[in-house]
Amino acid sequence: MSTSEPLIRLRNIAKYFGNVTALEGVSAIVNAGEVTCVLGDNGAGKSTFIKILSGLHKPSSGEYLIDGVPVEFESPRDARERGIATVYQDLAITPLMSIWRNFFLGAEPMRSGVLLRTSFMKKTAKEELAKMGIDIRDVDQPVGTLSGGERQSVAISRAVYYGARVLILDEPTSALGVRQSGIVLRYVLEAAKRNLGVIFITHNPNHAYPVGDRFLILSRGKSLGEFGKNDITRDEMTRLMAGGGELDQLTAELQKVR
Amino acid sequence: MTVTEVAAQPAAPLPLDERISHRGPMRRWLISPEIGALIGAFTVWTFLWGNGDTFGTAGTTLNWLDVAAPYGIMATAIALLMIGGEFDLSSGVITGGTAMIIGLMSRFFMGNGTHIGWAILAAFAAAAAIGWFNGYMVNRTGLPSFIITLASFFVIRGLMLVLSKRLAQKVYVDQIKDQRGAHTFHQWIAHEWLLKEFNGRDTLYVVCVLIGVALFVWGIIDQSLIRRIGVNLTGIVMLVVGLAVGLVGFIALNNTDGLGNNALYGILSAVGAVIAILGISLTRWTRRIGAKVGEALGSLPRDAMLRCGLGIVGVALACLIHVPFDRHERRAVMTWTSPSLRVVIAVIAALIGFVLSARSLLPGLRERLRAADTIKLVLFSAYAALVLMTLTVAVLQLTTVQALRAMGMLLLATGGVGMMLSARGHAAKTSKGWQLIIGALAATAVVVVALVSRADATAIRFRTVLPTALIIVATLLLANTLVEYAMEKRTYADPVADHAAKRFQLAGTLIAVIGIAIRLLFTNFTDAHAARLRAAGTPVPQNVLRETVMWWLIVAAIGAYVLAKTRWGNWIFAVGGNKEAARAVGVPADRVKIGLFVTVSMCGALAGTLIALRYGTVQANQGTGLEFEFIIAAVVGGCLMTGGYGSVIGATLGAAILAMSTTGFQTVRDWNEDARFAFLGGVLLVAVLLNNYTRKKAQEAR
Repeated sequence: MSTSEPLIRLRNIAKYFGNVTALEGVSAIVNAGEVTCVLGDNGAGKSTFIKILSGLHKPSSGEYLIDGVPVEFESPRDARERGIATVYQDLAITPLMSIWRNFFLGAEPMRSGVLLRTSFMKKTAKEELAKMGIDIRDVDQPVGTLSGGERQSVAISRAVYYGARVLILDEPTSALGVRQSGIVLRYVLEAAKRNLGVIFITHNPNHAYPVGDRFLILSRGKSLGEFGKNDITRDEMTRLMAGGGELDQLTAELQKVR
Repeated sequence: MTVTEVAAQPAAPLPLDERISHRGPMRRWLISPEIGALIGAFTVWTFLWGNGDTFGTAGTTLNWLDVAAPYGIMATAIALLMIGGEFDLSSGVITGGTAMIIGLMSRFFMGNGTHIGWAILAAFAAAAAIGWFNGYMVNRTGLPSFIITLASFFVIRGLMLVLSKRLAQKVYVDQIKDQRGAHTFHQWIAHEWLLKEFNGRDTLYVVCVLIGVALFVWGIIDQSLIRRIGVNLTGIVMLVVGLAVGLVGFIALNNTDGLGNNALYGILSAVGAVIAILGISLTRWTRRIGAKVGEALGSLPRDAMLRCGLGIVGVALACLIHVPFDRHERRAVMTWTSPSLRVVIAVIAALIGFVLSARSLLPGLRERLRAADTIKLVLFSAYAALVLMTLTVAVLQLTTVQALRAMGMLLLATGGVGMMLSARGHAAKTSKGWQLIIGALAATAVVVVALVSRADATAIRFRTVLPTALIIVATLLLANTLVEYAMEKRTYADPVADHAAKRFQLAGTLIAVIGIAIRLLFTNFTDAHAARLRAAGTPVPQNVLRETVMWWLIVAAIGAYVLAKTRWGNWIFAVGGNKEAARAVGVPADRVKIGLFVTVSMCGALAGTLIALRYGTVQANQGTGLEFEFIIAAVVGGCLMTGGYGSVIGATLGAAILAMSTTGFQTVRDWNEDARFAFLGGVLLVAVLLNNYTRKKAQEAR
C-alpha cells in the first residue's frame, strides 16, 4: 500500500432512485487512523452514503476506490471481506443472548468443525472488550442487561476483532445520554488509535467536532464540502449543516415567537 | 489444582464496577431457565408420591416414562423450534400421520403391503417434506408460523381420515405388528427389556446420592468462598474426625432397628456430617477475619426480627394443625363443619371479596364521588363477594379435611422456614452472630417439623421417608449456616474456581441422578421374596423398560448438546431473538428455520414409528391436539413464546411433568382421574409464572 493512497477514496459518487436524487457529486477520503465524520440533517443523504460504502447499494455513477483500486460490491458480504465493517443503529445484536455468544455470532470459532470453543470464546470476548476500555464482569450475562453505550462498544469491538480496516458507525450516539455518548466517543478514538479508518455518521456537530479529523457535510443529497479540522469551526459546521442562511432565518423566526 | 497455580491467580481484579454486584452461586442457579420445570417436576412427583400408594415404585416409574417418551422426543424438537422463534401446530398430527403411513403402507401398499422398513423410510421422507414445506412457506411469505402450520395440520388430519377409511375401511389401522419385518424392527427400535431384580439397589442408591450431594455442595461452596493457600491442620483433623463419626453413625444406623438407637445414630451421623463440612471448608477456603466464638452480637434489624418472629409462628401453627383437624377425617370440609360454622366461613369469604374489590376500586373514586360511581362500586364488589364465596364453598366441598390439613401444614411449614431463612439473610448484613442464631433456629424448626410429620401423618411415606429427608435438609442447613458464619465470602469472579465448581456441580448432579434412576428403575425383590409371591399366587411385578425411553434420552441429549455447544445452537438462539440482526452478521437465518421445522417433523416421524411399533394400532385421529401439549412442555421448560430464550433440559422435564400427572392420578385410590386436568392447569400456571419471574431476574439483576 503506497502511503499517498488513502484507505477509501470516493470520487463524485451519485445515487438516483428513479427520478429522486439521493446523492450527487460527493467525494470523500478515509485515512487509516483517522476519524472521518459525515454530518447532515435528516434527509441529507447520510443513509444512502453508508449503504453505498457498506455494499448494500451500488453507486449510480462515480468511483469507489479501496487502496487506490476501484471496487464494485455485490453485497455487504463483499464489503466485509474487504475489511469494511458497518455497525448499524440497531447494532445487530440479540438482547437475550449472552455477550460472548453475541460477540462471535455468525463467525463462531469451532473445534473439529462442530463444537464451539466456548472457553476461548468467553476469554476472547472479555479481553477484546477490555481492550476497548470496558470491563465486563461476567460475559455470560445477556447483552440486553448492558447500557446503550456498552452495547455499542460490544458491536464495535466485534467489528474490530474481525479484522475491520474501516469501521462505519451509523449514528452511534443518537439514542444516548451525555455520559453514554462520551463513552462511545472514547471508543471511536480508541478504534482510530488502533489504525482503523473510522467513518462516524452523526447529525450532532458537538459529538463530531471533538473526535473528527475530517468532516464531510451533506445537505439535501449534495456535498457542502470536505474540511480538515483546521479549516472549520464548530459554529460554521452547525450553520452549514442546517443549510446556512436557513438557520439564521429560523433563529429570527423563533425570536419573534417568543 | 496445585497450590502454585492458585497462588498465580490475582487476588481480585482491581477496577471493580461498584454498580455490578456479584451474584452468588445459588442466585446464579436460580435464574437458569430450567428452574421452573425442575421445581414443578419435583413438586408433582412428591405430591403423587405422598398420596399414591404405588407411585414411585419401579413399575409405575417405567409406566410414566413410557408415556413420557413420545412427549419428550417432540418437546425437545419443539423447544428448539420455539427458541428459533416459530411454532408448529402440525407437530401433533405428524406423529399420528407418520404412524398411519407406516400402518397403511405395510398393509396395503401395492395391494398386499410392503416390508415395514420401506414404510418407515417413506414415513421419514414424508415428514421431512412436510417440515421443509412448513419452513419454506414461513420464510417465503413471512406469515406467522401459526397460520402456515395450522393449514398443514388440517391437510394431514383430513388425509389421515380419508386414507384410513378408503384403504382400511375403518377409522383405524390395526395388525401392524403382524406385518412383514415388523417383528425385526420392533426388536431394533422398540425393544423391551425385562428389568431384573437388583439386590444391591438401596446401597448403591444411597452411596450415589451421598457422593452426588457432597460433590454438588462442594461445587457450591467453591463458587462462594475464597480459596486459601497453605494447609490448615485443624481443618484436616476436623474433616477426618467428622467423616469417621459420620460414617460410624451411618453404618450403625443402617444396621439397627428401634427408635432410641435410630435417633442416637441419626444424630451421630448428622453431627459428623456438619463437622466434616466445616473441616473441608477450613482446609480449602479462607476464614473470615474476626470470626471467633463469642463474637459481639450487635443489633438485629427490625424487619429481620419481624420475619424471624413470623417464621416461628408459622412453624408453630404447622405443628399445631392436628389439633383442629383430625388426621382420620376423610369427609369434605363443608360436610364436616357445623352448620353455623359453614355460614361463618361463607360470610368471611364474601366479606374478603367485597373488601378487596372495593379497595381496588376506591382510589379512582376518591377524587370525585358521584352516585353512579358509588353504585358501580357496590355492584362490582357484591359480584366479587359472590364469586369468592362460591369458589370457597366449592373448593371446601371438594377438599377433605385430611387434604386441607396436609396443605395447611405444608404451606405453614415451608412459609415459616422460608421466612426464617429470609430473616437470616437480612441479619447477615449487619450481624454475623444473629445470622448464626437465626440459622440454627431455622434448622431446629425443620427438625421439629420432621418430628411432627413422623408422629402425626397418616400416609406411611410421610411417617418414614419425609422426616429422614427433612433431617438431612436440617443438617445441611446447619452446616451452611456455620460455614457462612466462619468463612469469608467471595464477592468477585474467580474463573478458575468457578470453572472447577461447575464441573463439581455437574458431576454431583449426574451421580445423584444415576443413583435416583437406580432406585426408581429396579426392584429389590430377593429371589426368596419372589418365590414366596409366586407360591402365594400373586404375580411378581414385571418391570419393562422400553427402548422408547432410550430414544427420548438420546434425542434430548443431542438437542441440549447442539443448543449449548455448537454453532447451530448459537444460530438458533440468534434467529429467534433477532432475525434481522442474525442475518446481518452472516447467520443463514432461512436455512436455520427450515432446519428447525424439518427437525420437528423428523422427530415426529420417530415418535410415530415408535407408536406404530409399540401399539400395533393407529387411530385416524392419533396425535390430534398433542401439539399443544408439546408446546406446553416446552413453555413449562422455560422457552419464551416469542423466541430467543429457553432450554431443552427444561422441555424434557416439562414432558415428564405431563406424563407424571397423566399416569400418576391413576395410582391414587379414591381420586377422580379427570382431576388431573385441573391439577395440571395449576402446575402449568405456577411453572410459567416462576419462569417469567426468574427470566426477569436474569435480565435485570446484574
